[in-house]
Amino acid sequence: MDEQARAILQRVIRKIPNKKLQTALRAWDHLSSEQLESLDYAQPKWLFLENLISRCEENRLSLKDVTKLEMAYYIDNPSKGTWHAYQLFQAEGDAVSVNFTQFREQLKAHLKDVVRHVSVRTKKLEDGAVWIRIAWGDNFSKPNHLKPTYVVHYLQTSYVFVLNLMSKHKPFLYQALLLSTRHVSIKEAQLSSRSLTAMRDLLMRQYQQVFPTNQERTLKERNAPPSHPSIEKEHAECAERRHQMACEAFGDGVLPKLETAVYKLETKYRGNSNNTLNDKDELFRGVVMFSSSNLLESFRHCVSAGMAEGPVTPLLSSITQKGRNSFVITDKVPGAASQTPAHKA
Amino acid sequence: MALLTPYSKIPELNTATVLLVENEEQFQSRLADAIVQQEKDINVNVRLARKLPLPVENSETRPRIDLVVFIVNLLSERSLQAAESSLSHLGPDYFLGKLCFLVTDARCGAVPQERLLSVRRLAASHHCPVIYAEHQTEDGITMTAMRVLTILKVSAGLSPVATTALYLSTFTRCTFPSDFDED
Amino acid sequence: MMANISDLSRVALDSSRDSSGSGSSSRSLRVAESMKKKGETNPFRSALSSLSQVREGTTVKGNDELERNLVVVETIAFGQGLPPEAVSLLLDLALSLRSGTCSRVLKFLIPASVVPQEAIVRGVSWLCVGKMPVNAQVLFLRWVLTVFDLIDCKDHLRAIYGFIFSFVTEENLCPFICHLLYLLTMREHVQPYRVRKLLDVQAKMGRQPYLMQLLALYKVFRPELVSFSVPTRMRTGFKNHNSTWKAALTAVQRKNRAEVMADHSLTVEVKEKPTSRKRKLHHLDVPALSSAFDTNSERKVFRLQELQSFTELIQNIHNIELPAQMGSLLGSSLALHYLDCVQDESAFLRLNFWLGHSLQEEFLLCPADGSLSSLAEASQFLSIILSSQQFLQESFFSTESFLYKFLTVWDGSLLRTHFLDLLSHVPLMPSHYIKVLVFEPLMQLYFTSAVFFKCSVMECLNNMLVKWLTWHSVNALEDGLDISLNSNGTVTMTLSGFMDTIIELVRFVGRLAAEGLRLENCHVLLLSQTLTFYETVCDMFVKYGLPLVIMPPAGVFYPALLATDSLTVDRLGYIMYRYRENLTLAKKQEQQSEQTFHISRNTYQEFNQHLVAMVSCLWNSKSFLPGTGFEIDECLLTQTKVPEYGSRFDLVHHPAFFKYAIEFHQKFWPRRKRVDLASIKVGKYWNWYVEFLFSQGFDGLNDFIQVNTGHSSSSVLCQSLTLFICLSGQCHIED
Repeated sequence: MDEQARAILQRVIRKIPNKKLQTALRAWDHLSSEQLESLDYAQPKWLFLENLISRCEENRLSLKDVTKLEMAYYIDNPSKGTWHAYQLFQAEGDAVSVNFTQFREQLKAHLKDVVRHVSVRTKKLEDGAVWIRIAWGDNFSKPNHLKPTYVVHYLQTSYVFVLNLMSKHKPFLYQALLLSTRHVSIKEAQLSSRSLTAMRDLLMRQYQQVFPTNQERTLKERNAPPSHPSIEKEHAECAERRHQMACEAFGDGVLPKLETAVYKLETKYRGNSNNTLNDKDELFRGVVMFSSSNLLESFRHCVSAGMAEGPVTPLLSSITQKGRNSFVITDKVPGAASQTPAHKA
Repeated sequence: MALLTPYSKIPELNTATVLLVENEEQFQSRLADAIVQQEKDINVNVRLARKLPLPVENSETRPRIDLVVFIVNLLSERSLQAAESSLSHLGPDYFLGKLCFLVTDARCGAVPQERLLSVRRLAASHHCPVIYAEHQTEDGITMTAMRVLTILKVSAGLSPVATTALYLSTFTRCTFPSDFDED
Repeated sequence: MMANISDLSRVALDSSRDSSGSGSSSRSLRVAESMKKKGETNPFRSALSSLSQVREGTTVKGNDELERNLVVVETIAFGQGLPPEAVSLLLDLALSLRSGTCSRVLKFLIPASVVPQEAIVRGVSWLCVGKMPVNAQVLFLRWVLTVFDLIDCKDHLRAIYGFIFSFVTEENLCPFICHLLYLLTMREHVQPYRVRKLLDVQAKMGRQPYLMQLLALYKVFRPELVSFSVPTRMRTGFKNHNSTWKAALTAVQRKNRAEVMADHSLTVEVKEKPTSRKRKLHHLDVPALSSAFDTNSERKVFRLQELQSFTELIQNIHNIELPAQMGSLLGSSLALHYLDCVQDESAFLRLNFWLGHSLQEEFLLCPADGSLSSLAEASQFLSIILSSQQFLQESFFSTESFLYKFLTVWDGSLLRTHFLDLLSHVPLMPSHYIKVLVFEPLMQLYFTSAVFFKCSVMECLNNMLVKWLTWHSVNALEDGLDISLNSNGTVTMTLSGFMDTIIELVRFVGRLAAEGLRLENCHVLLLSQTLTFYETVCDMFVKYGLPLVIMPPAGVFYPALLATDSLTVDRLGYIMYRYRENLTLAKKQEQQSEQTFHISRNTYQEFNQHLVAMVSCLWNSKSFLPGTGFEIDECLLTQTKVPEYGSRFDLVHHPAFFKYAIEFHQKFWPRRKRVDLASIKVGKYWNWYVEFLFSQGFDGLNDFIQVNTGHSSSSVLCQSLTLFICLSGQCHIED
């Protein structure tokens, strides 16, 4: 193992919490079970690392293998950073027929075309997700394995999820993705979260949605009758209505775990007399951010508990309906009666 | 807007009804359970509501309400506001001893003292008692249920000795603290 | 240096042996050990030695060497704590900012036994250099406050008091500096220029609680220098700063404590800590009285925890240094003796501060989540306070203000027994205060709660009254006018003020009792508690020398008189007998010396009225008739269709004694088939019946009848009617 491989291994091992070390190494599948047994996972990290390095050297593992370890760890623990969603548009005729090998080869080729030093590693999981790890270099320096970009794409879908992408690498990645997936354009989908699965569920509609047919039943079930005949709820009907409203907006059942929703205001401040603040056309900029460990669940609870007045404003309900959590709100065009916020891509 | 009045309906025999009003609907159902389980001698009806006025649709089936309890969760400013705004939907007769405030989380360090004081001020200005509840412990809930029942029985006229709600409330009503015990 | 490090690393590894820390013995042991094992290497030693050689400007990021050494030391620190030399070495490393690991090092600086004061002094000097970023400064000060009790001796630290003081002007550091000064201040430190400076700072920053606390301490030492008034009841001044180290420190100390306890078993009678504590931040327990173990301090100062016996305490009572954590005093009886003897204002101030803080922040404001452990912890804590107060026979004012605050938000069930016990210990206070602080909230609780709560309130108020009366009878000053409220006589109350408070209390209980009995349908337990209270009230003059007689209200008297159990009537008899004794004595004294006191005509009238009612009811079979004290309209009585209603409550027919009358009847006329109770009332049978009743143990009734007839029980031979005349002639105490 060379110096670089060691440095990367050290970096990776530091990142992994002690109690997850064993599973990560097992998922990596580069050490024999005896070797895995012989390691003491309770040791301080630096000591553990020394032992691990000696095992790796026994197996003659290289930098390539170490990056695989990092990838395996990220695949098992995808919530280690903020993922951003991108959407592909205008599929070409042969987009549906792209298979994994083709995609991999093309992506690598296109990336290597534009960036001389780049290291790309791909892996296809059982659920169809293609994981791509890209370590970027440039024409003069070797790929930087300390800050790799991760890309997750499900073939034949129009969404790509990206972690740790620097803006200077964005055009390269855009181009490579478009060419290898046979699309014409790509845009940011205005959705970001720490939870990759939540984003996937939200965008690919894999969470339990509400359909008008089963609403009655679920509501009846939810509104359990009071535990005693002499206890009665005065506002039972209202509560039911609120539940219904909440479910219409956010669905019933487990919701994808989003952490934040950001609303950028690019509106003019208007006082009571409908004057702008300083009578100029200057925008009153501001950002409203909601955050919670499970934002959609919180919204639904707020609505069903009556903390937020119903009906649910489209500003909130469009998180699930449009699959995005970052909005820009601009002033209404005079005359247009539409309540929906104007979205900028 | 219909006021809630205590004497517009005929009372039922051996029955008392309490209305628990809580905007958050967190504590009321647990308290209601404790109340109905504790009382064995008389029939106690508990009505749960978020706020006043009560929905008109239920007014036919609703029994005469002998006591209104406003549950105020001190951790939430809205809770107090909701109780305050509900007050205006009560008939004047309720202010003669048929109303009490129940405060939760009064001991919590995060609660601003001003909010506690304003609850007390509100209660004192309406001459009604304030019950402080330890809503997180079983014992606390039992105790609270017992105290609500004590007031309820008197205000429903079911107390074995002749006592009126108004009379009892002269002892139990909250007094607003003067300045010197604030430190 | 190397030798030094090598031996201290041994110490760390052998911390179980070392941690007792008793100076010289372990030191020699240490030296011996290090001599023996000099050649041997161990990671801790080498880590420390290389850490000590870290140069300025060393990078941290990616510096595996440094990282590895830090990890070694960190592991030892969290496991066993660091030996003193290591503490000073690491502190120096951190504060000199050589390596950019300042906060990290400070965070694992867990001393195993003591912290050498030189290390702190050096730390302060680094502080004076002024290169440290603010957060590092704050962290350092917090650390010093946390380990303050472990600093081996503080004389050098006190010597640089002025340097430390100079930091009060720094806004960020001020709270911590004030706390540190609070712990260090001795009388000689209080200087006019310092007071002036503090007042300046206060003018700039507002009346911050920490400044107030420090000024209050200054005022204790030199009252003439601090002219402004410090509120007697102050909000707690200092926050706990130990959150960073608390868990690790207690863990290490607990591990090391076993031997500490053995060393000082005589002095430290500390309650055992609960072994498993789930909530680490909840530290509602009394810290153990253990801090530093250095005996070669230059000053002749004894620490309380060094004292082994009471005689030692007596010999050194003039130069004892208090521990920084005043709460530990509560756990030790010797310390309480000390507090009691010395009457050290500053000690009380600090103890009160500590108590107030723990009670308010950690109990009052910490909502019970229903977990048993936190409740048990709280109740144990309250009982320690209670026992200390009982020991000192004085309550701490911080407990007091806590009680009043808690009472206003109390639900009536949380820790009821402890709370009411503590409440019954509150000291005397002016009647206006007690009304607002105690009576009003208590009344609101009382009337909405169940009968058992009412009983415990009665019991509590009775205890309160007994304590006040006892206090009065012991502490009344010579002239009989002023009563000192605390043991050193600084707060006094006039006799009339005291009487006002007592009157207020008795009236309040009278009101509670009368209305409570009505609401609870004369519940027998409540009645019994009420009578217990009046047993105290009726004897206030004879037993406690307080010239005051207050009669029970009708709402208490009549339910007791007409009660269905004989015990209650008997106790009422006793109470009336004691009232009579008190009133007679009062009358006698009043006649002998003009100037003593005056019992109002109303009291006599009330007593006579009650007496007439009782006699005519029990003895003369004339209840409810006009002129008997409680009359009921005749039409009403005839409507009840009870025959001979007048005699329904005499000693024969009274529901309480009915059973005895039947028994007597059966004994006397075993052959009779028809029970004719009226025949008991005739002639000698009546006397025999009364004799029979007395033989059943109704001593109170016996006393009552004896004293009101002037005959001994064996010679009650007169007819009922004549007795009434004789009674009214004899026992009415005319005003």
